Amino acid sequence: MTAQQPVYEARGISKRYGNVIALDDVDFSVAAGEVVGLVGDNGAGKSTLVKALSGAHRPNSGELYLDGERVEWHSPQQALEAGIETLYQDSSLAPDLSVSANMFLGREQLVPGFWGKLGFLANKRMDEVASQELQNVGIAVPSSTRSISKLSGGQRQAVAIGRAVSWANKVIILDEPTNHLGARQSAEVLHVVKAARERGLAVIFISHTLPHVLEVTDRIVVLRLGKVSVEAPTSEFTPDTLVKAITGLSGAA
Amino acid sequence: MVFAIMVTVFSILNPRYFSTASFGNIMQDFAPVMLMAIGQTFVIITGGIDLSVGAVLGLSGVSAALTVRATTANGIDPGLSIAAGIGTALLVGVLVGVINGLLVTRVNLAPFIATLATMGACMGTTLVVTGGVQIAGAPAEVVQIGNTRYLDVFTAPLLVALVILVVAAVVLSKTRFGRHTYAIGSNVFAARVAGINVKRHLMKVYVLGGVLASIAGLFVYFRLGSGSPASGRGGELQAIAAAVIGGVSLMGGLGRVTGAALGALITASVLSGLILIGVEPNAQQIVVGALIAVAVAVQGIGRSNAGS
Ligand SMILES: Nc1ncnc2c1ncn2[C@@H]1O[C@H](COP(=O)(O)OP(=O)(O)O)[C@@H](O)[C@H]1O
Ligand SMILES: [Mg+2]
Repeated sequence: MTAQQPVYEARGISKRYGNVIALDDVDFSVAAGEVVGLVGDNGAGKSTLVKALSGAHRPNSGELYLDGERVEWHSPQQALEAGIETLYQDSSLAPDLSVSANMFLGREQLVPGFWGKLGFLANKRMDEVASQELQNVGIAVPSSTRSISKLSGGQRQAVAIGRAVSWANKVIILDEPTNHLGARQSAEVLHVVKAARERGLAVIFISHTLPHVLEVTDRIVVLRLGKVSVEAPTSEFTPDTLVKAITGLSGAA
Repeated sequence: MVFAIMVTVFSILNPRYFSTASFGNIMQDFAPVMLMAIGQTFVIITGGIDLSVGAVLGLSGVSAALTVRATTANGIDPGLSIAAGIGTALLVGVLVGVINGLLVTRVNLAPFIATLATMGACMGTTLVVTGGVQIAGAPAEVVQIGNTRYLDVFTAPLLVALVILVVAAVVLSKTRFGRHTYAIGSNVFAARVAGINVKRHLMKVYVLGGVLASIAGLFVYFRLGSGSPASGRGGELQAIAAAVIGGVSLMGGLGRVTGAALGALITASVLSGLILIGVEPNAQQIVVGALIAVAVAVQGIGRSNAGS
């Protein structure tokens, strides 16, 4: 898998927040049909790297390549339009809006013709497509017209994942998607990740739950204090060596 | 229901309260409050607040009055000069809205600080340009436009206000613009990473608030036939009261234009009622403040019940 040309690649990414160096010259890549695990202690810089990859933040330095071409994101919208979908660690759902309004947030469908030009929403259509898409992804949500604020934490996470998976056409970034989920819901998420890989998407999977990482990824990148400390195929890790790589007790896997 | 109780109470205290004539008066008071409340509703739903609307009302009114007086003094016909007055007032609304929007999106001031600053600036400008005195001397057409009643109740400004109400309600509930307004107030991070241009949207919303407040200023001018530096004072409180009474959440993300309009009706009726039973104007502010507190408290109770 790693021999393949990467779909999405970051080279020499650095990001500072004031005095804090969150990322220091990080190289990272993911190929089509590959799931890369991104792990590291709290504060290692995982979410910061996610935000650089998704266009939510601009890194202080470094370059991004999509399909071998240099890209630069001036807004998250540009990354979305390029086919890169992100599930952020901080909730990126609007709780007062319905499931389908969230599925289509920023990409609303309008009614055809004159009224559409005035910005009238095709709500019924979006409700139907949203239920359909969530079903295709394998996610059960009571009703796509239900407000997000009325859903359980697991259901919300399911909607967020469903949105990312159904819109992605190149890369999908999942920052701690199984956080706060029960065992059964986590299993569903892992299933969704595997299905995305089958579809040929490049998946970046971030998690503190190491058994999940070992189960679902092809390759693991360990971040430590803003730098890549270890990178190797998942098959070369045992739970023990992975923990050691994360905590820095051993150099290589 | 609140409205029904209130009308009954005031009618008992003063039988004149429930007559078509006084209803017409209430509607004339109601129109400007409702316009400010509609603008306020959009702003509050984005998670912001606009404290400048009352001051914009005042400045727009006197700007229109000064423009009309200056142009008619130069022999320009009343129709044209009234049009110029309307143009000036709207310009004031757009300008203050743009400044509010820039302060919030580019200078990153909290909306409450940004609009407090423009509120002060507008009040100051109003006093400077008027010298603190009423700007009278409008052509007769002005008062005619503002006070001719159709079916005993509907004045031209009221009809315009009702059209704006319908359009605003539809825009907020049925269009992408409305959807993005809710999304920003519900979770601004979510809106941003979903690709919504939050800054540009907020600019539009603050400009909308400014323009609606300036139309409210025009209504007051057309009603009185003069521009008073005192008008619009406390207007921001009335607009906020109307919005929260109408169910608009100060936390952002929730509320409807129709609710705010009903809230404006209640607020305007309370104020008219207070005048009829002889409460002095300064004490009315106390009542408006109390209305806001009660409405927010009731919302809080509703929220915690829904949560449990
Ligand atoms: N918005 C921010 N402002 C300031 N510091 C931040 C911000 N976001 C992250 N950091 C800091 O950057 C470092 C990396 O954080 P993060 O990328 O969230 O780590 P992880 O996701 O691996 O837990 C931490 O030291 C964190 O405190
Ligand atoms: Mg993180």
